[in-house]
Amino acid sequence: MTATAGLWPPALALHQVSKVYPPRRAWWWPPKTLGEPVTAVNELSLEVPPGVVFGLLGPNGSGKTTTINLITGLARATAGRVEVAGLDVRRHRREVLARLGTVPQETALLDDLTARDNLTFHAGLYLPGVPRRERAARIDAQLELAGLTERQSSRVGTFSGGMKRRLAIARQMMHDPELLILDEPTLGVDPQQCLIIWAYIRELATDRGKTVLVTTNNLAEAEALCDQVAIIDHGRLVTIGTPRGLRLTHGTTVLSVQLRTAGGVPGPALEALRQVTGVTGVTSQAHPTLGGTYTLTVTARGGSPAAAIATAVNGHGDLLDLTVREARLDEAFIALTGAATRD
Amino acid sequence: MFSAGRDWLQAARASAVKDIRTALTERSTLVQSITLPVNYMIMMVLFVLAGAHDPVAVVMHDNGRYAQQFVAALARTRTCRLLIEDQAQARDQWRQGTLVAVITIPAGFDAAVSHGRPVQIPMAVNNLNEDLTHDAVWAARSAVTSFYAHVFPHQVSLVPAEHDQYPRDTGYVPFLALSVIVIALMVSGLLQAGTAAARDWEERTVKEQLLAPARPSAILAGQMAGAFAVSLPAAVAVVAAVVFVAGDHPAHLLMAAAVSLLTLATFVAAGTAAGTALKDRAAFVVLLRAIPVPLVFLSGLFGALGFQTAAVRDIASALPIHYAIVLEQFAFRGLRTGTAGLGADALIVTGFLVAFAALAALAHRLSRASAASPGA
Repeated sequence: MTATAGLWPPALALHQVSKVYPPRRAWWWPPKTLGEPVTAVNELSLEVPPGVVFGLLGPNGSGKTTTINLITGLARATAGRVEVAGLDVRRHRREVLARLGTVPQETALLDDLTARDNLTFHAGLYLPGVPRRERAARIDAQLELAGLTERQSSRVGTFSGGMKRRLAIARQMMHDPELLILDEPTLGVDPQQCLIIWAYIRELATDRGKTVLVTTNNLAEAEALCDQVAIIDHGRLVTIGTPRGLRLTHGTTVLSVQLRTAGGVPGPALEALRQVTGVTGVTSQAHPTLGGTYTLTVTARGGSPAAAIATAVNGHGDLLDLTVREARLDEAFIALTGAATRD
Repeated sequence: MFSAGRDWLQAARASAVKDIRTALTERSTLVQSITLPVNYMIMMVLFVLAGAHDPVAVVMHDNGRYAQQFVAALARTRTCRLLIEDQAQARDQWRQGTLVAVITIPAGFDAAVSHGRPVQIPMAVNNLNEDLTHDAVWAARSAVTSFYAHVFPHQVSLVPAEHDQYPRDTGYVPFLALSVIVIALMVSGLLQAGTAAARDWEERTVKEQLLAPARPSAILAGQMAGAFAVSLPAAVAVVAAVVFVAGDHPAHLLMAAAVSLLTLATFVAAGTAAGTALKDRAAFVVLLRAIPVPLVFLSGLFGALGFQTAAVRDIASALPIHYAIVLEQFAFRGLRTGTAGLGADALIVTGFLVAFAALAALAHRLSRASAASPGA
């Protein structure tokens, strides 16, 4: 399965990429291998258009971090090709790295140094040829953007998880990368900080035109942040689309219809509901105290058929109430990847 | 071309500054990098002082001219610390076990010597430690020969005719002091560079470097420069102690400085390679404490390599520390203690520097894959 947005060159393209980790070799005599080869990524093809926030979702061990390592060139693909802005990662690694900003899960900040020192170190490695004064100006700008100007002289080890994340992102924005990769950007961060980080990431994409690739297990985060998401499992692409599209297609909308009938069990109403497009199930339950009142629970795929349902029950009783619980992305995720844990 | 060089220097500088600042905030490493070399220096000096100062009591029942000259001959052997005591004092100390030997000059010593009669010099020896015992016995025998050579030169027909290779004698402590400098340079360089390299892997901060568009050689060179700068004060402190406290002034000042810096750089490169390969500070420090010191003992520490057995010579020839000691001995005292020429020695140390730097680069390159392995 491949996602294509039609824009060329895509910010990121994976073509039939596989990564197989060979089994370890025993260092003692006689030589032998320990364990089995692990296929972390399996013929993955993906295209990310420029200027979007793209979510890479998947259970633990599904291949998200390996995919990032393949994009950054830290790992070499066993098969296939990875391109960033049309450049082959293997052949043009340094050019690719200059266009990438990567924030790993562990943030990789220097805890013993100040926020400013961290950015200065980064500037030395990532801003070749940029005069010192301009480097300092960029550091100031990023500290401002991350809301850390006041704390620039504090040791990073004293920062909260959210501040560290913001600093890590700011650090990677300093060299103005075309593609920003965030591996679990809000891991271990409280909800208040999450909102700040999400707003920051959205701003990068919408106001500054950056392409952002986010890996996450947090489906609320994916929904809040991403223009598009891909779900991978066992190293393979399972599906791709907008968060709304995925939850409507693979999630379940639940409608609760309260109906009062004159003639007891609302059999005709149930039958009419089953005929509505997208409805996957209907159940009824009599109200314990209000005679002739029933609660009909309707499950549906492909969006909310509330209007069609209201029409369907018309004439089979009095519609007292109709509530809709929208399909959720986590339901879609579980439907696509299964409920079994991967540990 | 110019721009590439400038960018390389910029990345190397950033890397060096980062490591220097980090090291300065990490008190334990900083303290260790100062104290460990100094500890080795103190340990070696104490070792030598302990060996050269065996307490030997001399009880004089005769204070005549010959008796005095015999005691002077004993003192000239320099292998023991002579304590002139009366019999009661010597007996007490002997019982307390604080003496290696008690030498008694018997009454009538002078008369017997002047009349050419045989004299027995009683010598009680504490044979708790065979090495110290041998020193005391050797001192007594040597004193007899020396005494006769000085007092009755016409009676001793067999005397060594000493022709010195060097214009001045070198004491054991000053000789060893130069080896101590090299040990300090080795420990200081290895410790600082190894812990800095391992720290980056342990704390995962290495990813920032692995994902940078800068050349890995620049980052690595910067790391080494940082470790070099941080370990320099400890090295300078030890050299200063040898020069100003022990009074061992270098004969060739520039060469002494160059050899010291080259030696430090060589061990900084070795530490970077080992730290990158191990990726664990605790493991590195254990290794540092376990391996180098035994190797130092095999590197011509106590004398010229030519004096050693063939096996020791072969082992020493494979170690950079041997060549560094040889170069320091020449730079400070003009001594030639190696088996190759000085130019060859300098080239070999430089070769080790290049080889260790190459190993560090290889370890760094191979480690890139491990940073991306599952669970990393």
